[in-house]
Amino acid sequence: MENNSKQAIAHEIGGVNDALRFGLNGVKSDIVGVHPLQSTFESTKMSQAEMKKRALAMTYGSAFPLKMDLDSRMLARFQRPPGAVSSSMLGLEAVNGSLDDFGFEDFHCLNDPQESETYRPADMHHGMEVRLGLSSGPVCPSFI
Amino acid sequence: MAQSAIEVPPKGGFNFDLCVRNDMLTKKGVQLPSYRKTGTTIVGLVYKDGVVLGADTRATEGPIVCDKNCEKIHYMAPNIYCCGAGTAADTEAVTDMVSSQLNLHRYATGRQSRVVTALTLLKTHLFSYQGHVSAALVLGGVDVTGPHLHTIYPHGSTDSLPYATMGSGSLAAMAMFESQYREGMTREEGIHLVSEAIRSGIFNDLGSGSNVDVCVITKDKTEYLRNHMLPNPRTYVSTRGFSFAKGQTEVLSTKIKQLRERVVEVAVEGADAMEE
Repeated sequence: MENNSKQAIAHEIGGVNDALRFGLNGVKSDIVGVHPLQSTFESTKMSQAEMKKRALAMTYGSAFPLKMDLDSRMLARFQRPPGAVSSSMLGLEAVNGSLDDFGFEDFHCLNDPQESETYRPADMHHGMEVRLGLSSGPVCPSFI
Repeated sequence: MAQSAIEVPPKGGFNFDLCVRNDMLTKKGVQLPSYRKTGTTIVGLVYKDGVVLGADTRATEGPIVCDKNCEKIHYMAPNIYCCGAGTAADTEAVTDMVSSQLNLHRYATGRQSRVVTALTLLKTHLFSYQGHVSAALVLGGVDVTGPHLHTIYPHGSTDSLPYATMGSGSLAAMAMFESQYREGMTREEGIHLVSEAIRSGIFNDLGSGSNVDVCVITKDKTEYLRNHMLPNPRTYVSTRGFSFAKGQTEVLSTKIKQLRERVVEVAVEGADAMEE
C-alpha cells in the first residue's frame, strides 16, 4: 500500500511513473542514483568544464573565459526551428571543443534520440512558442 | 540570468535508465545473468628497431570456447596497435573509439599520432568508468620519440615497460620473457620470443588457445602477421572429404500422416454479392 502512494509521484512532466519501465519511484534513487558510477559520471563533466575555465582564466585573464561563455551562449541560441531535423550545433561544438571529441553518442550512434522507440517529432509551431516563452510546457510532452 | 541556460538538442550517448529497473528486479528476487569468465594471453616487447605485439586467438565465455580464431590485436593508428584482454566488446569498443579520436586529432594537426596520446585517451576513458569497462590492454607503437610499450589496467593505471604481458596467461608468458629477454634483439629474435611466450600461454593456460597473431611495428612499416603460427590445427579434417554410404543412419520408426483436404466449396447465391 505504501508503494502506491510513491507510485503516484509524477516521474516526468505530463505523466505518472511507469513502474514496469522505470521501477518504483524512490527519492533516494533519484538523488544518489542506482549505479555507483552515476553520480560521478554526471558531475565529472561539470567539474572538468569548471577546471578548464579556471585554467583559462589563470593563463589569459578572467575576461577570456567570460567571452567564451558569451560566445557559447550566443551559439547555443542559434538553432533550427524545432521539428523533423534537429540542430547540429556546429558552432557551439567548435567553441567548446566537442567537435574534436569522439564519444559514445558518435560511436554506433548509441541511444540516438531520433532512433529511440519512444521518439515523437516535435510540432514546430508549438516548439517555437515554447522557445519564445509564449506557451508553457515542454516542446514534446512525455510519451507516457 | 538564472534561466539563460539554453536548451540544446539531446545527443544521446551513455545513460543509466535500465539500472533502476534492474535494481528493482534484483530486489524482487530475479537472478540477473552473471559475467562470463574470459581468458587471454597478450604480450609485447621492444626490440632493436621497434615493437612486437602478440596475442592468442581464443575467445571464451565461461566454459565454452566461442571463437577459435578471433582477433585480439586492434588497430589504433598506422603506427600504433593495441592488444586487448577482458570483455571482447569492451576492448573493441574502447580501441575503436580512441582510434577514431586519434584520427580526428591527426586531421587537426597533420602529424603522426604519438603513443602517449593514445595512452592518455585510453586511461582517462577507463578511469572515468572506474573499472566497469573491463579492458586490460597492451599498447605498442613507434612515433617520433621512438618505440613505446605500455600496459593499461581496467581501472586506468598504466605501466611503461620493455616487455609486457596481460590476461590470464600473462604469468606463463612472462616466464618466457623473464628467462629469455635481453636488450637490442633483432626482428627475428623478437618475433620468435613473442611467439614462444604466446605458445606458453596457449599450452599452459586454459583460457588461451588456438593460433598466434603477431604484429611488428617499426619506424616506417607495420606488419600484421595474422595466424603467424598454427600450433593447434584441426586434426579430424579428411583431405579426401567424407563419403557416407546410403543407409548409414538407422531409421528407428516411420509414421506417415495423410493430409486431409480442408477446403470446402460453397455455392454462392447471387454472384453480385461479391461486388459490393
